[in-house]
Amino acid sequence: MDAGAISAILFVLLLGLLASGLWVAPTLLAVGFIALEFFSPAPAGSLLASTVWDASWNWALTALPLFVWMGEILFRTRLSSDMFNGLAPWVARLPGGLLHVNIMGCGVMAAVAGSSAVTCATVGRMSMPELRKRGYDETLAIGTLAGSGTLGLLIPPSIMLIVYGVIAQQSISRLFIAGVVPGIMIIAIFMGYVMLRAKLNPALAPDPGERIGFWEKVKASRLLIPVLSLIFAVLGSIYGGYATPTEAATVGVLGALLLAFVTGSLTWESFGESIMGAVRTSCMIAFILAGAAFMSVAMGFTGVPRVLAGYVEAWQLSPLMLLALLTLLYIFLGCFLDGVSMMVLTASVVLPMVDHAGIDLLWFGIFTVIVVEMAQITPPVGFNLFVLQSMTGRDILQVTRAAMPFFFLMLLSIVIITLVPEIVTLPVSFMLSQG
Amino acid sequence: MRVALDRLYLWSGYVSAAFLVAIALTIIAQIFGRFFAVAIDSTESAGFSLAASTFFGLAYTYRHNAHIRVTLLTRMGRGGVRRWLNVWAIALFLSVAAYLTYWSFDLVYFSYKFMNISPGLLAIPFWIPRSFMAIGALILSIALLDELVCVLRGQPSTFDADELNDQAPITLESNKTEVS
Repeated sequence: MDAGAISAILFVLLLGLLASGLWVAPTLLAVGFIALEFFSPAPAGSLLASTVWDASWNWALTALPLFVWMGEILFRTRLSSDMFNGLAPWVARLPGGLLHVNIMGCGVMAAVAGSSAVTCATVGRMSMPELRKRGYDETLAIGTLAGSGTLGLLIPPSIMLIVYGVIAQQSISRLFIAGVVPGIMIIAIFMGYVMLRAKLNPALAPDPGERIGFWEKVKASRLLIPVLSLIFAVLGSIYGGYATPTEAATVGVLGALLLAFVTGSLTWESFGESIMGAVRTSCMIAFILAGAAFMSVAMGFTGVPRVLAGYVEAWQLSPLMLLALLTLLYIFLGCFLDGVSMMVLTASVVLPMVDHAGIDLLWFGIFTVIVVEMAQITPPVGFNLFVLQSMTGRDILQVTRAAMPFFFLMLLSIVIITLVPEIVTLPVSFMLSQG
Repeated sequence: MRVALDRLYLWSGYVSAAFLVAIALTIIAQIFGRFFAVAIDSTESAGFSLAASTFFGLAYTYRHNAHIRVTLLTRMGRGGVRRWLNVWAIALFLSVAAYLTYWSFDLVYFSYKFMNISPGLLAIPFWIPRSFMAIGALILSIALLDELVCVLRGQPSTFDADELNDQAPITLESNKTEVS
């Protein structure tokens, strides 16, 4: 049988198993098994055990549970109220006022937590009631939160970049560095959009009230100093080349524990809950990654990825066309799947294609993460939409409509990093020449 | 029996948590070692702890309905249809887990027989960390068999009970959202 037919069969099988309600990790293992057993001479059983084992004790992956744990600890502190009170005085007088707290708060939170739902929930828990109380436009408030909440995926430490680094065999330190500037760029684009909207229609954001002196502002934000120092310690040690991501994550866990202890929110109970929460999340991701590693090896034996990569050449797809197609594919998949599953499901086939087309895999990591971010706010399965839905009590359609402009702003960011790839790659080369 | 099984899943979760903390501890040792010019290489100890944490956590994570699946279509099923869809998904997961368990023990047996040693400074016989994988997969298989029997007897499955509690939106406590 030719590889085209094999890939069609496996693809249908994959979708069928997922749709029938089988969990993602066993689906990957099952598809890998069938690929090996029926379409290759290799022994499926012993390959399964050894591949799953090799994928499970991967050094690069050890950073994952630690960063998840760090986020779990901080999620249980008073961080969300500190964030609101510390940021509000600085942005109150910008057009759009306190709506910027949502965006910048998510930016800061994204730099300590690796996931977008945690980012979205931590910031929104405090800011949504406050914004509503002061009469801000609710649609714009929900939209800013939905959009900027996804920054948790891009701004390091990011679970998604660790996952990508592991499956694409890219350095996680370099991916982390590459994620920073695009993250800041998206924050700036979002803030610009809010200012523009508020200028055009002042009714969206009420009058900010009295002017606050500079030192008053500094005093109000002293609460943020511990968090900012934590960010500085974690990211700084990676940028400076002093620590591997895993070591930085350990420092982050210790710092988060210290912060929770000093602010009085560390109890044995919250400590236990944070670990068990981290176990559930990281176990789920690691199991999916082990399944993906096996499927990837199995696919390699069938020769499917090589043939599909050849199609790119045969159809004379330019890298730009390929990227446009992949963007559509991911947005489509994002309607049904969460980000991690999307990335690992497609990796074994997409990465060889992209590599073959001469696209830098480091750059592609950032590209993919932004597309996955967009998928987080597309219905019917968009995790940030779910979080906001339960937080605001609005139905999914209203939340989706509120998030739509931010979806297109992210699309704009993708166009920008495609036209100017240096936004992603330059900081990395700069760091390496320093280090 | 019920109590014993639930205790098994919970304790395997605790073991998983202990290994997660062990990753951090072994990294701390490595950082301190660097300050005092002692060569401590945590690549293996952290990696083995990670693997142990993952596999011991499988059953616990399953019982907390934190493994990801697509429920878009299956959620439409009602009553009997839904029950048989659940039976199908659990039975399939069970076969995958049982297959993995069998071949993991096979891997452990051969690494013991040929005394495979890990390549780094620790030089641990590979069968020790690999047996964590086998035991974790075994506990997961037990949890799935348990669930299959329960659903076939007409009791609601753990994840169904969970989905009924919060109809559409996923709450943060259930922890599924935290990846995305």
